[in-house]
Amino acid sequence: MNRITSHPVFGERTSHDVVTFVFDGQELTALDGESVATALQAHGIAVLRTMPETGSPRSLFCGVGRCPDCMMTIDGVLNVRACLTTVRDGMVVETQHGLGTWAAKE
Amino acid sequence: MTRTADVAVVGAGPSGIGAALAAARNGASVMLIDENKAPGGHLRWTVALQNNLPPDLPDGVRGFELALWAAAKLAEAGVEVLSSTVAWGLFEDNTLGVTSASSSFQLRADSIVIASGSTDIVWPFPGWELPGVLTATAALRLLHLDRVLPGQRVAVIGDGDLATTVVADLQGCGASAVEQIRSIDGLTAGGVGRVNWIESDGQRTSVDTIVIALGRQPDAQLAHQAQVASAYSATDGVFVPVRDESFRTSDPGIFVIGDAGGVCSTARAFAEGVVAGEAATQGSGLSEARARVQSIEPGAVTPALTVPIADGTIVCRCEEVRAETMRAAIADGAVTINDLKRRTRGGMGICQGVYCNRTMATLISQEAGLQPGTIVPMTARPPARMIPMAAMADLEP
Repeated sequence: MNRITSHPVFGERTSHDVVTFVFDGQELTALDGESVATALQAHGIAVLRTMPETGSPRSLFCGVGRCPDCMMTIDGVLNVRACLTTVRDGMVVETQHGLGTWAAKE
Repeated sequence: MTRTADVAVVGAGPSGIGAALAAARNGASVMLIDENKAPGGHLRWTVALQNNLPPDLPDGVRGFELALWAAAKLAEAGVEVLSSTVAWGLFEDNTLGVTSASSSFQLRADSIVIASGSTDIVWPFPGWELPGVLTATAALRLLHLDRVLPGQRVAVIGDGDLATTVVADLQGCGASAVEQIRSIDGLTAGGVGRVNWIESDGQRTSVDTIVIALGRQPDAQLAHQAQVASAYSATDGVFVPVRDESFRTSDPGIFVIGDAGGVCSTARAFAEGVVAGEAATQGSGLSEARARVQSIEPGAVTPALTVPIADGTIVCRCEEVRAETMRAAIADGAVTINDLKRRTRGGMGICQGVYCNRTMATLISQEAGLQPGTIVPMTARPPARMIPMAAMADLEP
């Protein structure tokens, strides 16, 4: 875990609500209110997507929603920026490969 | 739907806060649009003590405390703050395109004050697209908004105040090894699935994270969309809107303040905001506000980045365009950024050239022997932020 246990200014984190989400089939916990990218970073998960041309992996880069590097498939929706998306209980988060694939409509 | 306000301010960092408070004090209806969850801009992820601020601000408090102070002041002043909301286009008749998670609308205002701040200066080196390489802003937000370490063994690239802050904050938050690399010349990084080494000056260091902390550059995309007059700033190394003493652009209804017009201190940004807020509302405090700006130093000079970029290096991250592809296009006659963009797709991705415009200009300068100040930026077009098509479809004419 990459969580800062004792922050030099904010000190210890006292209490927090925890939510559970699914990342590529694996159940993970997150702190209520944080972004998907932050929750994955806290678990040490770097690769959020691969790129369409080269297939190379990408991870959190700009942190402010400007670049394409944290675009993931979230609850079936493609190209969702994980750094701007608040994690929710039961959310299904998937690594996006290239441009991704929409699930077939019923 | 079209909404109206006397003054619309885009960006709730120090300059936007100054403008909104000054305009509201003079009785104007003010709408402050900000893409973050709460006002404050970078102050929200700044823990350093803020000193030498203008007298109407609390002095000697930490950055995030100043952000909290501002949020309370804005509410007290009756400013309508729209957080988690983006202004992505500036069209005719002083009309902004505005989108949040729940709505899209046009906002027409007598004065538009662009306080959109700055973005991280980045520079391509082999391996910079690997997971584990991130900007200073991403790192500082992780540390202080989220209380998460970007990594344990970290190299920080940069030689200025920003790099110094990132190094100190990483160490303070408990990263196990932090190394500062001052020069980007000849830098190489590598790893499989994640960066695991960086090489500088023949020295290879084992790392799991690299933070690019080269400095900040003005981001005034909305003003450029409106095609206000702009000029090359040798201080910032990019084109910025031309402004008069009141920070009014060549379009009298559009102001540009703070980092968006030239990277500056928090004190200076706030003071510029007060000037624009006073000028937009014909306030009686204008001359005093102008005098205060004059008393604050402008921003420090950002050294031009001109180091060679090795073949194989990704220059445009969004469209995955490499240095040699750009060089070949330049040799073939694409000596403007717009031409280079059309030939290679470089700068055509969703970052809208934020992270490659500067590099493309330098490549043209190096390859075609042109002065950087003669290479105009790519044409700015809406949307300035990534928004769903539905957001535009919801706009009524």
